This record gives sequence, structure tokens and C-alpha cells, in this order.
Amino acid sequence: MLTRIAGGRVVDPTAGRDSVSDVWIEDGRIVATPDRGPDRTIDAAGCIVMAGGVEVHSHIAGGNVVLARLLLPELGVAEPDAPNPHGSGRDVGLLYARMGYTTAVEPAMPPVNALATQLELAEIPLLDRGGLCVMGNDDQLLQLLRDRESADAVRDLVALNVATSRALGVKVINAGGADAFKDGAVRFSLDDEVPAYGLTSRQILDGLLDAVEALKVPHPLHVHCSNLGLPGADDSLIETLAAAEGRRIHFAHAQFYAYAAVDKDNPLTGGFRSAAPRIAEALARHPNATLDIGQVVFGQTATISLDILRQFSGRKAASPRKWIVNAGDAEGGGIVPFRYRDRGPTSSLQFAIGLEMMLLSPDPERTILTTDHPNGGPFTAYPRILHLLMDKEARDREVAAHPKVAAERSGLAAIEREYTLSEVAQLTRSGPAKLLGLTDRGHLRPGARADVAVYRDQADRTAMFARAHRVIKDGTVIVEDGEVVAWTRGRTLQLSVEADAGMARRTESYLQGRFGAGLSSFTVPDAAFPGRRADEPVFEAVACRT
Amino acid sequence: MTAWIDGRAVERDAAVAAAAELLAGARSPLVAGLVAEAAAVQVAYDLARTLGASVDPAASAAIYADLGALASAGAMATTPAETRGRADLVLVVGRAPWASGLARDLSADAPVRGRAAGRPRTLVALGGTGDGAVQHVAYPAGEAGIPAALGLLRGLVAGRVAGPHPLADLAARLRDALYGVVVYDPAEIGALGAEMLTGLVKDLNETTRCFALALGDPYQGRTAVQVSAWSTGQGPRVGFGRGRPEHDPWRFDAARQVAAGEVDAALWLAALPAPLPAWAGTLPTVALLGAPTGAEARVVIGVAVPGETEGAALWHPGRAVIAWQEAGASAAGAPPSAAATLADLHARLAAAPPRRSAATSELSASC
Repeated sequence: MLTRIAGGRVVDPTAGRDSVSDVWIEDGRIVATPDRGPDRTIDAAGCIVMAGGVEVHSHIAGGNVVLARLLLPELGVAEPDAPNPHGSGRDVGLLYARMGYTTAVEPAMPPVNALATQLELAEIPLLDRGGLCVMGNDDQLLQLLRDRESADAVRDLVALNVATSRALGVKVINAGGADAFKDGAVRFSLDDEVPAYGLTSRQILDGLLDAVEALKVPHPLHVHCSNLGLPGADDSLIETLAAAEGRRIHFAHAQFYAYAAVDKDNPLTGGFRSAAPRIAEALARHPNATLDIGQVVFGQTATISLDILRQFSGRKAASPRKWIVNAGDAEGGGIVPFRYRDRGPTSSLQFAIGLEMMLLSPDPERTILTTDHPNGGPFTAYPRILHLLMDKEARDREVAAHPKVAAERSGLAAIEREYTLSEVAQLTRSGPAKLLGLTDRGHLRPGARADVAVYRDQADRTAMFARAHRVIKDGTVIVEDGEVVAWTRGRTLQLSVEADAGMARRTESYLQGRFGAGLSSFTVPDAAFPGRRADEPVFEAVACRT
Repeated sequence: MTAWIDGRAVERDAAVAAAAELLAGARSPLVAGLVAEAAAVQVAYDLARTLGASVDPAASAAIYADLGALASAGAMATTPAETRGRADLVLVVGRAPWASGLARDLSADAPVRGRAAGRPRTLVALGGTGDGAVQHVAYPAGEAGIPAALGLLRGLVAGRVAGPHPLADLAARLRDALYGVVVYDPAEIGALGAEMLTGLVKDLNETTRCFALALGDPYQGRTAVQVSAWSTGQGPRVGFGRGRPEHDPWRFDAARQVAAGEVDAALWLAALPAPLPAWAGTLPTVALLGAPTGAEARVVIGVAVPGETEGAALWHPGRAVIAWQEAGASAAGAPPSAAATLADLHARLAAAPPRRSAATSELSASC
């Protein structure tokens, strides 16, 4: 069927396109303007037409997301007609789709718990999904590095983990930090040593950066640095960027590191001010680097992280006063409920810093919008955040309502920039798609997947982005006027990577020794998803870079 | 022979049709047991949503002892493999960890990873009968029981109990351990005991490392907890009667509902062994069983045994995760899986919506 999305303002920065025109769809793909009439026309007059949104970092599946729901049952309750971003996978899919998002990535899939994570991802309807395989605290990897095995061995182990867990990419979370925590540490930085292995965090990071490059994983190593959220954390990010030595690197939830210590000599007692200019400047100088924001929004949430050292350190700020820290087979996980106090001085400053980072961005394709859901707040805050980026007046009103410290310790108030629709598309579409190496989405050029969001052009950008007029996934209209009209199931994107047979044999023996179960116990076979029809597979392969 | 109606062998298709009819005709159906692979548990929740049924896993009593403590106090836990690899002190609470064999397994080796590597592993017991074959130091729980003893121990660890105390030495051992692990069965010590234990473990982490390790239940309860969490946003005892999941561990207790006459039909799912509830013989029930005799319920349908006659995603007690388990035996002659059977049932019910809905709308119209 040939579909014409007619007469909308089509915004696709990857093609330099921002004009009233048509988008044509056939067989689930965007096609060039054909020489015949459409079978179906979707009227987009008065609307903005963009590619479907792409999420790079949102905790939407996995053991810790499950535990967060059980720790805070009241947070995930679904009221009638009020889907909850902390609730079921079904609600998560619906809420993303309603905003015009069509792809979302869970950034923290531990290989030891890949099967449950993948089962959960598959139950998020409407979207294509993916998971990043977490490495960097696992004993097998650390042994290889400690024993100075070859870079090829490390590469092969990473490939095996990605293939076995059916991941889209690789993430490292405070490399070595979880191991250090299990041995009693509560502080851990890039050049600190994991005591039992005699390895620094830097050495582990270095091994993984090389492995990801050698495997030609499209998504660069996704890095959660040490010292998240502490005054002086900007030093951790900048040092880690330097440690990459030009290799591609992605910084997760960078807002939580954009905290310069006010008192350099006593960083933990003097509070923090914005390091957004420093990070923006570093980003401008390092085209190999990308980041996502981790914007803070106000209200109750649950922070979910595999950085158990950091979560343990933050336990006393839990609100309500209950928390989970699990020392898992590698990282495990920590869940600390947190309330970003509306108009609270610290929350307001964090809020300002996130906006400042996006507004100082040298390249919106490399400073991607996230709230690190649910860590900075729910992803459903995106429409309001986009509104504030696009509207200086609305931003001034918002800033005026916050404590003075937010304006004094950040540069937000002085920034005049207003995001254009093209820049919004870079921030939420083309940037994240390029970052994930998904060449078939994030744009509207012929050949792209027909994932399209159509928004009514309104001055109230919050309302505009909150409920899309139409959302099209793979050519099917799934949302009309903010309501789901077709519960499609989407696919889970997995990287096509070959595992080395020799490393598989070594790993089989390692796993048997440690867990009394071999590689087959760690696999994610198609047979685990028997509810899916043969013509509707759960997984879709994504090729490595050539 | 894989299907029966009223104890008579029938074609499988006829049994599935009868099951669909029985459930579609119910006003307040129950989906219970869920002793099955993750895929089957998933379809069971989907089916319950379609039916407007309530759900209660066979493992609920054990699950809710832990979930209650989790929701009030959080947790600080570790895994069986990390316990084997790192623990220099294991405190075995109660009798169940001895009966399960875990205590004995942990006594067989010593830490090999982390800062305790090279140390011996000490086993100590609180309120358990111990095991003559395993060397350990036993501390009595006292007449007030295990939760009270854990509370006292917590007080001692935190320095809140003055004077000499029979458990003072145990408190000192816990404080001195580098990677202590407290093993317990939530079903044995209950929610209060689990909460006390969590508090004890968390307090110890102010100065060293100590974690809880709960025994799993034998009925795939931890699979049901996860499937329920991502399917409903809540714990496993939910009701879909109002069209959306409502979590209420008291209200949706299957035994309580049956005793109170609140349900009029049930689906019992036990692809793996589990005790059949007494109500299966009195309440109109469809039973999906891995080892059926045909006489268990009004409609009985045999299903594959997950992890035996077919590969399946099951709770792995040694790894404490949902893990893939290959088929152990030939699938030849085995009946279809529970997931496939439930999907068939679900498709029939989705095609012919429950009759109850018409009655409900009449009722609303008259209100």
C-alpha cells in the first residue's frame, strides 16, 4: 500500500529538509515521490512531520526495573486511563509511542540476567527495542585483563557476551567499582585499583574500548563513569574522555557529572556549580565523544543503577527511607527511591544544568535528550523539556520560579538560544539513531523505516510533543490523536556478531565451574518466545560497521 | 492420553473448547498455580487480563514473606554464586537452608574471589537443627522465635543491647567477617523475620560487607513475580476484574477467595509438580498439568514438562535468575507446551469474549 503523508512541515535535518511537503511510504519504508497516486492519504496540514523518536538510555526492563516496582508498589500503580511510566511494559510502550517515539534502548542488561531482560523487552509493545550488554565488573573479564591476555581474547569475550545476550551494544558501569564495593570500598575513581585484581578502572575501560572498536560495534562503548553525582564529578568525565584517547565513547547521563566542586580543596562539603560549559567545550574538541543528558525533573522517582558502590553511598538520601543494594554476579544493582524536590535548591540546580548542557551544545546530535528514566525522572517529561529548549520566555518563567542558587550556579538564565525544530529532531531522532548505528531510522530519506511522528504545530510545545497527532511504525498507524489504535509488537534489535568457538569453549568451562551451568543456560533462544508467530519474529539483526 | 472432561478421556481440541467455555461462562474466574515456564506464565497473565480474572501463584505464601519485607525495608542481598565465591562467614537461619542442601554445599568450599579469598569459610547457625555432617557453631533462637532473635542480633550488632548476651559472640563474628552472607527461607521466617534480617544486614554494611541470600521457592514463584511486574507493574497477586490490574495480596489470595465464595471457576496451571489445591475438585476448574491422571478437575489437559520434554525459560535456583533450560528427554510423544495450550485457549476466549461482560453491562445499565 502506498501512503502519502500530505502537506505537513517535514523536518529532517539529515537531508537539510524543513519545508511543507509530502512523505511517501510503501511496504513499511519511506520512498521517493512516486509517479502514481496514493492508496491512502494522511492529512498532515498544519502539522510537523518528523522521523520517529529514538531513545538511547531508559531503564525499561531488567531485574532492577522489576525490583524498583516491588520496592515502591505505589509508584507503579496504573489508574484508569492514566498509564504510568513506572508501571507495566505495556504502559511504557504506550507512553513512548504517544510522544512519537518508536525505538527505545535499555542500557543495562547484565549478561547473567539477559533472558529475563529480553523476555521483558519483548513485552513492551509498539516500539523496537534493544539492550546493551554490561561488562566491566565480571570476574571472567577481569581475570583476562589481570593475566594480561591478548586484546583478541578480550575482544572475543565481549563478542561472546554480546552474541549470547543478544545485545545491541556494550556498556560499562563504573568499571571495577562493583568489585571494589564488595571488598569494602565506598569511593572509587578512574585510577583506583580493584583490590583483588590489581587492575585500575582505567585499564578495564581501556580493554573494553579496544574490544568495541575491534568488533566494529556500531554503538560506541556506552560509559557510566565513576563518581556519579558528586561535586567534582566533572573531573571524572573529563579524565575518562581523555582516557578514550580518540576512540569513540558515549557518556551516559552526563548531567550527573556536570558538577564542578565549589571548594576544590573540600569537594564533598562545599557544594557544586554547573560544569556545563566545561563539558560542552570538551565535546566540541572531541568529535569522538557523544553524551546523553539525564535531565532531572521534579517529583518522586526511583533511581536504578548497576553502580552499586554509588547507590550504596547514596542510600541515606533515600526518600522514602528504604532501598535495595544487591551484590550480583558482576554488578548486581541498587535502587534508591528519590524525590527531586520541586523548587528545592539542589534539584533546581540539577534541572538548570541539564538544560544548560543542551543549550550550550556544540552539536545537538551528540547531546541526546534523556532523563535516564527513571533516574532523573520519567521519560514522559520530554515534551516539557523540549518546550523549555525551544522557548526562552517559557524558560525564564520557569527559572524565575526556582531558588536563586540555580541561576547563580549555572549559566542557564543568560542563554538566549532557542532550539529549532531541526535541532529538536537532531536531539531526539537523528542523533540517537546515528549513535546506535541504526541507519534505517532517525531520518525520512528514501529507504528509511517508515517510523514517522506527526505533531499538530502548536505554540504549546509541551502539548504538541505529549500527544502526537499520528504515529506510524513500520508503515502502520499505531497512534491517532494520542491514543493507540493498533497494538503492534515491534522487534528487539540485536547486533550480528560472531562468537569465537575457542572462547565459547573456555567460557563454557568457566561458567560450569562458577555456576554449575554452562553457556546454554545463559542463552536467549527464539524458543523462549513461543507466543510469537513465525512471520513476526522477536529479534531483528543489526549489522556491524564495515 | 492428554485430555479429559469429567474424568473421561477426550480429544485435546474438545477439552480446550470445554475449557474455553467453562472460563468464558464464569463471572469471577481465578487463574492460579503458575507453576510453569516463563512463556506460559506470561500467557496466563494475558489470559487473566482478557478474562477479567484474578491471579495467584502457588508460591505466594513464600513470595509475599519476602515482598512484604522488600516493600517496607528494601533489601541487601547477594547471589548463590557470589556466596560460594566470596563468603568467609555464612549464617544459616532456621531449618530450611539445611534441609535444602544449600548449607552443606556452602560448607564444601571456601572463598576464592575478593578480599576474603584464601580464608576458610565458617558456618554458623541460628535457630536451626544443623547437620551432623557439617561443622558449624549453632546458636539457639530462643523461645521467642527467629524473628525476635534476629531483632536481638541486630540490636547487638548496632551496640544497642547492653550487658552479656548469648548472641553477643555471633554479633562479633558477623562484624568481623569480610563478606558475610545470611541464608534464610522467607517462607520459614515470615515477613517480620525477613525485615529484621534485612535491617541486620544493612547495619553490618556500615563497617563491613554482609548480604542476605533467600532460598527460592520450588514452584516458579520468582518467575511469576517477574512476569507479573512487567505485565502489571505490580506483584503477582492481582485482579483484572475492573479491566486494569489491581494488586492486593489479601484480596486475591486464591484460598481465601474460594473459601469466601468469591470465585466461580478456575484455571490451575502446574506444568511442574505442585500440590493440587483441594478446591480443584469442588470449584469448576480447568487444570493444565505436566503429570495428569485425568481426575484432578472437571477439565484436565496434559502439557509438556518444561525443561524435561521441551526447552524452557525457568527459575534456576543455583543461579537465582530465569535461565534457559534445555530439554532433558526426547520430546517425541510429549503433549504441546503449557504456553501453546494457553495461547490456544486465549485465542478462543479473545475471539468469543466472556459472556459475563454482557451481564455486567446490563447490570451497570440498571444501576
